Amino acid sequence: MPAEEMGKISRKMRVAFAVSSMIFVAALAISPVKDLRLEWKQNKRAYVRFAQTRPDTKRLLADFRPGIDQIWLPELGVVDRCTTCHQGMAQPTLPDAGVPQPFRTHPPIPHRVGDWGCTVCHRGQGAATEIAEAHETTLAWEQPMLPMKYIQASCGSCHRNALAEAPKLNRGRELLAEFNCASCHKLQGITRAAMPGPDLANIGNKVSREWIYKWLKEPRTVVDADGTVKVNGYETEESPRMPQFRLNEKELVALSGFLSVQRSRSIAPYKIDPRVIARWDKQPDVADQGETRFRQMFCSTCHSLAVTRAGETKLIGGEIGPELTKVGSKVNPDWLLAWLRNPQAYLPHSQMPRYEWTDEDLYKVSRYMLTKLTDSDLLSGVPKFEAASAEEVETGKRMFIEKGCASCHAVEGVPPQQDLGPDLTALGGKNISELDFGQSKIPRTLPGYIQAKLADPTTVNPAARMPQYHMAAADREAVTTALLSMTGPPATSAREKLVVSSRTAPEFHAPGAFGRVYERYKCAVCHQFNGFGGTLAPDLSYEGSRAQKPWMIDFLKNPQTLRPTLILRMPQFNMSDQEATILADYLSLSLQSPAVDPQGAGAKQYTPQMAALGKQLYEVKYQCQSCHTIGSAGGYVGPNLNNAGNWLKPEWIEAWLKNPQALVPDTIQPRFNFTPEEISALTAYLGTLRQSGKAAPAHASIKVAAVRGAGK
Amino acid sequence: MTESRHESLHEAMERIRGTRVWKSIFRREPARTNRTRSLAIFGNLLFHFLPVKVREKSLRVRVSYYLGSISFLLFIVLTVTGILLMFYYHPAVPQAYRDMKDLRFVVTSGLFLRNLHRIAAHLMVIAVFWHMFHVFYRGGYKPPHEFNWVVGVILLMLTLFLSYTGYLLPWDQLSYWAVTVGSNIIKAMPFFGDKIRFLVLGGNTVGENALLRFYVLHVVVLPLIAGVFIAIHFWRVQKDGGLTVPEEPASVEPSLSGKPDSEK
Repeated sequence: MPAEEMGKISRKMRVAFAVSSMIFVAALAISPVKDLRLEWKQNKRAYVRFAQTRPDTKRLLADFRPGIDQIWLPELGVVDRCTTCHQGMAQPTLPDAGVPQPFRTHPPIPHRVGDWGCTVCHRGQGAATEIAEAHETTLAWEQPMLPMKYIQASCGSCHRNALAEAPKLNRGRELLAEFNCASCHKLQGITRAAMPGPDLANIGNKVSREWIYKWLKEPRTVVDADGTVKVNGYETEESPRMPQFRLNEKELVALSGFLSVQRSRSIAPYKIDPRVIARWDKQPDVADQGETRFRQMFCSTCHSLAVTRAGETKLIGGEIGPELTKVGSKVNPDWLLAWLRNPQAYLPHSQMPRYEWTDEDLYKVSRYMLTKLTDSDLLSGVPKFEAASAEEVETGKRMFIEKGCASCHAVEGVPPQQDLGPDLTALGGKNISELDFGQSKIPRTLPGYIQAKLADPTTVNPAARMPQYHMAAADREAVTTALLSMTGPPATSAREKLVVSSRTAPEFHAPGAFGRVYERYKCAVCHQFNGFGGTLAPDLSYEGSRAQKPWMIDFLKNPQTLRPTLILRMPQFNMSDQEATILADYLSLSLQSPAVDPQGAGAKQYTPQMAALGKQLYEVKYQCQSCHTIGSAGGYVGPNLNNAGNWLKPEWIEAWLKNPQALVPDTIQPRFNFTPEEISALTAYLGTLRQSGKAAPAHASIKVAAVRGAGK
Repeated sequence: MTESRHESLHEAMERIRGTRVWKSIFRREPARTNRTRSLAIFGNLLFHFLPVKVREKSLRVRVSYYLGSISFLLFIVLTVTGILLMFYYHPAVPQAYRDMKDLRFVVTSGLFLRNLHRIAAHLMVIAVFWHMFHVFYRGGYKPPHEFNWVVGVILLMLTLFLSYTGYLLPWDQLSYWAVTVGSNIIKAMPFFGDKIRFLVLGGNTVGENALLRFYVLHVVVLPLIAGVFIAIHFWRVQKDGGLTVPEEPASVEPSLSGKPDSEK
């Protein structure tokens, strides 16, 4: 090329340069154009257009800003820009379904959105201003929004106690506790029960190998697909117990063999006086008399029995002890006698009170249980077993360990297992990449994974050791919600202060003679003492302020119910005078309410005129008889007041009438705003209601609880 | 009227040129005479920058055209976008990743800015390698270019270090694990691998200290060193006789100076 042509540029080059320049400029223009068309900007414009179609345009646009809106909470690590698009969230006029999303009003919640942000509950990516990035799992953000049906899980991330506003979460937590999930899994806020299943160290003395085989094959408690708990095929309110393990015939034989040789403590057979046996053996109705005693002693307060009425079979009775419909076909007669006399000798932690028995009662009740509470078909399908061979015992022991039986049951020579299953304390915050879906076709989401695992543990892992739980879809959703709430330790220390945990009351252990009687009769299984104990029976924390001591002694010796409609009543322990006096002494001296002043009303003089006025107020002005019974007339909602004069202390009545909720916070007794004169008059009237002489025998027949629980 | 105004403007300009301030800024007289004109030309910065002579062959449009300049241009783009990105970035855990989110979701054209920086960085690595291959196959490592070849290799290393240190800064999973793997490779070095890894990370794990170290290296230390070496590289291109062209002994094509290549 000649030197003079060097600087010349060909036409082709010019065109190429012009075209590439234009492409370059166009490429530069892409970014500003994309910036204009950002999703959040489109939503901002759409909101303005939408507001203009509404009558209250001015108010809807009052604090409209064209830029990004965000909730910034440094101490929570929250930067939520959701309100950039969700413009109408705080507007009261946009709650109806006709309002297009994202402009709808947020439904009312107990928290201020400005204080907590959005992602604390809803999850998703708060910083995002694009629809997919904010709501879904994307390449750079795994945690998607929590589906609305599990939203109560978010309440549970901070609130470790039960919340009235989150019934699904509460139900899920209840189920997790009831199913004893904590025996194998570490769970957040649900502690492992000390003894989730029965102690089997001595099971060989109690039941036969055939029965064990049958039980392992078909645990009687099954929660069917509708969520109803069935025991022996009868519906019950009882909590579900042993789940179904996938055991084959060989495993069943080996396990039953191993368990049938568990006899760690031999039982000394109790010999009932031969004269008693000789006298009652001949009587044809000995079992019927036993049944009467069984009922009089109110065994059904803790134990249920299947009762068929109008073609419908239901379990009736309490849930504290096991259901007893077929106990006669289950237990060894020698064991039964030993157990009834002293349950703690067989099972030291048993909740059953140690009754005072006469040989006569013992013989009658045991005859009843062994001959009437039976099922001849129970063991019909079970092969007859020889005594277990050493090999079977060895295999059975290995099965016992492999299947995780030791997580719930104690057996000598097998160390207790813990944390057999994975730790679930942080399951709710797991990312999808942390879950093993295997070859399954489960939806690739965290709730989907949990749901599938609960429905059938083998879907994810065919070799799963987890037993099969039968739950209704709604219950499965509740358990999933509770598991999703377990998001592990809070992310920052600032957040930790926000965790609201439940407080459990310290155990109530009474000292001295009272303590011994209290432990013997297991008072705290049903009654509460300073926040500790069961909720079946009245809270006795303030019983000393309420009841008069002589009445207490009488009542303890012969409990006569104050609420005849209840089917779960105080058992008759056949307590001695001395024991009853010890209990009454302690109750009246130590368990007093600071809100009731014994000097205040006790010193008052109640005149017959006041009592007459009180009677009139009771019957006419306030119509107390609609809930309370005196004589034979009145309602059954509140307690029977026949013997109120002997039962209640006047100062208690006064304090109670003034403000019942101050003494028992959840009582349904209305607060009437009585005048002081009316209170005195009513107290005077109630003081005149006295029954003299020995009380009538306790009601023997079982009644269906029409207002069970209404007595609180 | 207009003339008198022109006159007065001229006088004003002359007065300004006479001030100490003007003279302190501009070393030379206005280019009015031949001497001052030639001084203006020779004093021009571009003469330090551009080679004295250019071979026609090296100006032909082909795939290896201007690769060195493209690398430099990308370096400029990276410097400019990098400075802009520094306005939005905190080298701290976990704020660094949140800044990435802010760049994407909040900053106007922030994603474009970030992508420009990132894509330019990838392209620069490609361009520098390509440049190196090109120079190698042209025999650019031979005398008198040996020193500049070595400078070029140092610049290649600097480019890779810049790329690697920048990789950690978004503080996402990709960067975290890339640096974890990379620093474990350093650890595999015999005898003092551990020590060097500790030095690089400012600790035994990829954490806040590592992020800070990589940030300082990425935005201060390595760019300054690269700037110095780029200057040397350009200076030597000129001093070593311009761009390398494959030797073609039989060539009779005229060069810019009108003499055959063989005589240069």
